[in-house]
Amino acid sequence: MADSPLYVGIDLGTTNSAAAVFDGERVAVVRNAQGGTVTPSVVRIDKQGRITVGTRARRFLEQDGLNTAAEFKRLMGTDKEIEFPTAGVSKKPQELSAEILKALRQDIVDQIGAPIARAVISVPALFELPQSSATSEAARLAGFERVELLQEPIASALAAGWRAEDDGAGTWLVFDFGGGTFDASLLETRDGLLRVVGHDGDNFLGGRDFDWRITEHLASQLSVVPMRKNPEHAAALRALRMAAEDAKIELSRSDRAQVTLAQPLLIDGQDVEVDLELTRATVEGLCAPLIDRALDVCVRLLTASGLGPGRLSRIVLVGGPTVMPLVRARVAARLEAPIAEGHDPMTLVAQGAALYAATAGLDGRAADKPNVIGRQVWLQYPAVSSDLTPHVVGKFVGENAPAKVKLVRQDGAWSSADAHVGDDGTWLTSVTLLPRRACTFDIQAFNDAGDKIPVSPPTLTIVQGLTIGDPPLSRTLGVALANGHVQVYLERGAPLPARRTFTHHAVETIAKGSKESVLRIPIVQGELDAAHLCRLVGTLDIGGDAVKDTVPTGSPVEVTIELDRGGRMSARALVPAIGQVFEQVAHLLVPDAAPEALDSAIRDLRRQLMDLRTDAFRHGLGQVIEKLDRLEARLSEAERDIDAAHGGDADAAQRARRALLDVDGTMAEADLARKWPELDATARQAAIGASSTVGLYGSEAERTLLQEVLSAMEKARKDKDAPELERQMRLAQRLSSAAFNRTPEAWEWYFEDAASEVSKARDLPRAHKLVDEGKRALSRGDTEELRRVVKALWQLLPEDSEARKRGFDSGVR
Amino acid sequence: MSKIVDNPFFVLGLSPDVSRIELEREAQKLLGMLELGFAAARTYATPLGQRPRTPEAVRAAVAALRDPYQRLVAELWARHAPPVHDAEPTGDVEPAPVRPLRRALGWRP
Repeated sequence: MADSPLYVGIDLGTTNSAAAVFDGERVAVVRNAQGGTVTPSVVRIDKQGRITVGTRARRFLEQDGLNTAAEFKRLMGTDKEIEFPTAGVSKKPQELSAEILKALRQDIVDQIGAPIARAVISVPALFELPQSSATSEAARLAGFERVELLQEPIASALAAGWRAEDDGAGTWLVFDFGGGTFDASLLETRDGLLRVVGHDGDNFLGGRDFDWRITEHLASQLSVVPMRKNPEHAAALRALRMAAEDAKIELSRSDRAQVTLAQPLLIDGQDVEVDLELTRATVEGLCAPLIDRALDVCVRLLTASGLGPGRLSRIVLVGGPTVMPLVRARVAARLEAPIAEGHDPMTLVAQGAALYAATAGLDGRAADKPNVIGRQVWLQYPAVSSDLTPHVVGKFVGENAPAKVKLVRQDGAWSSADAHVGDDGTWLTSVTLLPRRACTFDIQAFNDAGDKIPVSPPTLTIVQGLTIGDPPLSRTLGVALANGHVQVYLERGAPLPARRTFTHHAVETIAKGSKESVLRIPIVQGELDAAHLCRLVGTLDIGGDAVKDTVPTGSPVEVTIELDRGGRMSARALVPAIGQVFEQVAHLLVPDAAPEALDSAIRDLRRQLMDLRTDAFRHGLGQVIEKLDRLEARLSEAERDIDAAHGGDADAAQRARRALLDVDGTMAEADLARKWPELDATARQAAIGASSTVGLYGSEAERTLLQEVLSAMEKARKDKDAPELERQMRLAQRLSSAAFNRTPEAWEWYFEDAASEVSKARDLPRAHKLVDEGKRALSRGDTEELRRVVKALWQLLPEDSEARKRGFDSGVR
Repeated sequence: MSKIVDNPFFVLGLSPDVSRIELEREAQKLLGMLELGFAAARTYATPLGQRPRTPEAVRAAVAALRDPYQRLVAELWARHAPPVHDAEPTGDVEPAPVRPLRRALGWRP
């Protein structure tokens, strides 16, 4: 095995997968057994239970579609199992992904001749936590000891930037048309450091949409037209779609393609011959609206980042569909920027993942048994550095550490000054690197007498090149509360790894020993404040059967959420009253998407859309009407997917579910915009109220904060940004309440209000007792006692049950 | 107040005129020192005395300074802050009242 580290990157794609290795100086794409650089993400299980993957499996998609699975990546994180009826087995999506990873791992081993245990695997930028978690599980099943996940656009940009001769300085756009998703990422490189400036995307737009458009066009020309909603037509459509995909690829190089199937299709009991001609112009006409939709996303991203057309240094194209000449021409023309040439759009992501493995110091080789000779030293240094003179920090293990340390570059042309070792064994020095090279340094340690002492490890290697800062969190993460709102823990863009703790309070008692008594802490991802418009990604349950003692209503619950560099989440809840920690995050699954439930959801959304539209027309709100038109188009697309879901297409069902959730969120925003005049007036009142209360009773800090809030409100009003105005208004109201709470009258008022609702309290005897205590405190003017009573009463009063339902039955406030 | 005590330049122990590469280098060094338990890296000096330094704070600081707008704001606050001193905050100095208040109010920057 080679002495120097070897870094492995894997692009586990929806349609195709690829792997690459980086040895510190050169990135090599791994070839599979068939000699190809991409491996179709297809798995077949025959009647003997034998598993075939990649190109060989893909050949069976047409003739044995029932026992051959493709595009299962889109089902990652769901509990949907894929059946292989002939073998009589079913597999989870992560088990099938594991088969692809095993095949790629074997290809890597065959190419480099050494076992592989660690790798970086790329995931779409907008992957939800359950999907990331399923990807890690697939890697574990494939035998990887450790993997890090990396967002695909960062991988592409890293690979493209690494090879740029001018260091790639400037602003880049990565235009990534995957099989099922479209991602646009804006990146900036400066001083050898890559930074993600912004990201946008469409989770419902991908290369498969191109294929479906062509398939539907071909189907419409047959003597009997196969329908997606009919499960009996699925085999015919599958065969037609594969032919459409092949024709699309052929039309990237020629103007005409013949679509001919060797066997006739069996549709409604009739043999239907397929022998059709397809021209490039027809395909371009069918696909142009989809490309324009992707370009709209890019323009939106550039506008949000304050960049006009022509301001980009270059555009990096990623993904199979970008090979189409029409895509390249349309992108370059609309965004007025050059396309970065010389990159393979099919393997760029894998190459970037391998480079990232180096920046993360994730050596892919399986670890040999540690061979410690000499004094053991712990080291901290960047495995890849854009800086030519990075620091190296070390600490000797055990007592009687050496007196000094020196690092000598193995080319003999440079050595560091002596670094003195502190009493605690620590030392610090810096090294000088050669540009764009991997440099290995010998670690030399000496005792007081100047004798050389062997150390372990004896060397360290640093590669000089483009690096990326800490990966940013792609979606805001928080906890849904019983009032239906979200407590944000980590904002989108927060550098990873990250950890945050908040204290909540139980809204009901957890009775010791009772299985029915469960306090639920829902963890959600999304950018909106309303919990039901975010995605539930996990729950932390504290059950009565697990607690050492009964946890009364109002007890504090300290929740900590932690994300590692790859975005994998762990969460724990500490209940100080009983000194117990709960950390089993459950149900990390994408929710089920039954076609009947989708039918009902789309009916509701259509009804709401109609109401909103009528209202918007009545008030002449042009911008709102435009937004609603776009939603209308999204709903029509979702409807097509729901049709396919009825025909047994689980992937289309998931796509529809996500589309409906997105439409619901956008509709809520449109609804806010419709209510703008009302919201604006309320915001003005809130600002006046808060200014007066905080001015009279607020602390200096509250007054400073209020000024910031008022400025933000003014900006939101100017921008007509309804969600932001609503958020700032809530802050102003909370500040106002905080100041108001300092006055004795406030607690009298709160007490009277709470006492008037005592009949709804969960523990009536205790609530009545508290009311009596409150009355006595009121009569003797004891504000402190009154405050205690009111707070205890609040804990006994129920949250609004509707709000709690919207908060995924959260048991915390 | 938090713009002073949590100011990325104070967290990293750097002056506002450092180059991009210098701040990356310093952050990398501090993260390494914190990982290996160097006592000198555990706190940082602010005009209100020493504050605890964590890897999360260092990452957040360097991420903020990579953004040109956030860097500009941080530079302004750092340049106009009172002089830094290393002592622990005294009893009569209110310890960063705005920060916990922000959190309690669910503040999102």
